[in-house]
Amino acid sequence: MKIMKFINKIIFFYYREYKLNLSGFQDILTNIIFFFISIFIFIFSIGPDKETISLIGVGIIWTLLLLSSTLSLRKFYQDDFENGNLLIIHLNGFSLGLIAILKTFSHFLFVQVPFLLSIPIACILLNIPIDKLIYLFASFGIGSLTLSCLGSISSSMNLMNQRNFLLGSVIVMIFSVPIIIFSVGIINMEENFNSLINILFGILLIVFAINPWASGLCLKLSLENN
Amino acid sequence: MKFLVNPNKFNEIADYMFKPVLFLSIILFTLGLLFSFYLSPDDYQQGSTVRIMYVHVPSAWLALLTYAIMTFYSIAALAFRIPFGFIFNTAVAPIGAVFTLICIISGSLWGKPMWGTWWVWDARLTSVAILFVIYLIIIFMNLSFENRNVREKVVAIFILVGSVNLPIVKFSVDWWNTLHQPATISKLSKPSIDPSMLTPLIIMTFAFMMIGIAIAILRIKTEIITRKTNLS
Amino acid sequence: MIIVKNLSVERLNKKIFENINLSLVSGDITILKGKNGSGKTTLLKTILNIIEPSIGSIYWKGKLLKKNLYDFYSNVTYIADKTSSLRKLTVKENINIWKRFFLANIDNTQIETALKTLKLDKYLNQKIGALSLGETKKLEFLRLIIENKKVWILDEPLSNLDEDSIELMKQTFEDHCAKEGSIIFSSHQNPGIYVTKEIEL
Repeated sequence: MKIMKFINKIIFFYYREYKLNLSGFQDILTNIIFFFISIFIFIFSIGPDKETISLIGVGIIWTLLLLSSTLSLRKFYQDDFENGNLLIIHLNGFSLGLIAILKTFSHFLFVQVPFLLSIPIACILLNIPIDKLIYLFASFGIGSLTLSCLGSISSSMNLMNQRNFLLGSVIVMIFSVPIIIFSVGIINMEENFNSLINILFGILLIVFAINPWASGLCLKLSLENN
Repeated sequence: MKFLVNPNKFNEIADYMFKPVLFLSIILFTLGLLFSFYLSPDDYQQGSTVRIMYVHVPSAWLALLTYAIMTFYSIAALAFRIPFGFIFNTAVAPIGAVFTLICIISGSLWGKPMWGTWWVWDARLTSVAILFVIYLIIIFMNLSFENRNVREKVVAIFILVGSVNLPIVKFSVDWWNTLHQPATISKLSKPSIDPSMLTPLIIMTFAFMMIGIAIAILRIKTEIITRKTNLS
Repeated sequence: MIIVKNLSVERLNKKIFENINLSLVSGDITILKGKNGSGKTTLLKTILNIIEPSIGSIYWKGKLLKKNLYDFYSNVTYIADKTSSLRKLTVKENINIWKRFFLANIDNTQIETALKTLKLDKYLNQKIGALSLGETKKLEFLRLIIENKKVWILDEPLSNLDEDSIELMKQTFEDHCAKEGSIIFSSHQNPGIYVTKEIEL
């Protein structure tokens, strides 16, 4: 009975997140537009040579995915923190670590998944062969969940930082270096697919394990000193 | 050893430790520079450029050592509630950053004649560059939070999260087949370096360590005073 | 139910308050009085175990609060001095979100009457951004009915309210106490509400 209640609460947490994100859907769309415009700019600056573009296309997609997902980091906890909803959720029986996990998945669902869905279009624009799409999806799926975890850590660290918000993006970018190295490697070395995806998955598990601890502690600190 | 965790004890010890440490570092520096410029042989392959090693290797070691000590202090401060750890982290991060910067600059000066390029993207160089950026982020975090209570703890958490980079820096030359040569000096086996080169290297390491400790003493004392007077 | 024993809170080597003793049994209305910056919000947050006290301890139903935290949380409603309703959504959507999130088994007629007494029923389909400060404040109090919990912890509930609403709050407080609930709230002015205990900070 208690467990059913708890599951219900989690479901309605996501109902709330869904309502919130639906009302701010133009923000997510703006992110995606930013993503595509940046692809255009990349192509214009390199020149429309098909061979070159398809050679570095995956790198471009990954870089821009990283940049545009750090754009929405500010929304991660900031709104809920400032209007006191974080506290209300906590008082409703969620520990802060659990809130961090739930929020991470919600960021993955409502911010990263739209990017994942727009990847096939980006592939067409960048001349990446369609049979490589499956590798791309595998690496992007794991990589973007890792990015969500990192985003949770960095944005919870910067809740009380009013002066220098770009620091949060820098933190995400510095820790995402290994993810980018391995996931771009997947496309160029398909025979190594299994080992590389295992490494990516290992990184995801490490970050996923650190995430509730680090974010929970930072959230507690920020709530305490607000 | 109480002065390593207690600010008041540290102040007492530091007062009469500072001058000897500074003096020792000056002596070691003169001795080390003498050794590395005049009393050590040229390498048969690298010629005179091998002398860059006497700056490069000690600063690299100390950059790693500083971060490792900061990690230990962060654990102590967060888990056992020892506030001296926070003081130490705030004070020592710039010193580590400077060591890393010296290591990177001397390394690229060494790389130009040896590898023919200032910079290559191999695992060791990249991970050291990331270490430098992590140091910079720590410094910027210390500057940008208004509330000290939040700031010191968040920085400690960040140091702990960033410490995953340390083993990558250390073992990158063993894990990946890189341009950077693997370690020549390790505890377990006999060093594959000639004693005539090992002596100046060790003297220089101690000289770097002493000057680091001297600056650290000054910075930690300043930090303790700042906290006592509630200036930040 | 709640017992606070010589509580002191310190921040950045600065004492905010010290030696607070308080006990809250069912049917109590406790008021925290004090000037701006005297630590009323801090005390309320300390009771909610968000801020760690430097000295002292808090008990809930005879056990240490820390060991019994989520049982305490399932019995308490906290309303901060902020508008926690989501600005982009309408009043109706906000109420729906709360109703589901707190798993309230409350029927719509009850909420409608509450909205009518708060004079908010005409705004039902408007966004929160269109409401005035006092009206969002009143909307916050709807959470008291939705959550339906025993202990109410309210931070400055009477600021920004007009006289009719204060009268209404008085009524609500007395009703809640008659149902064996207990209230602790902070205020910087004299509200004229019947209270059983007073604490000066």
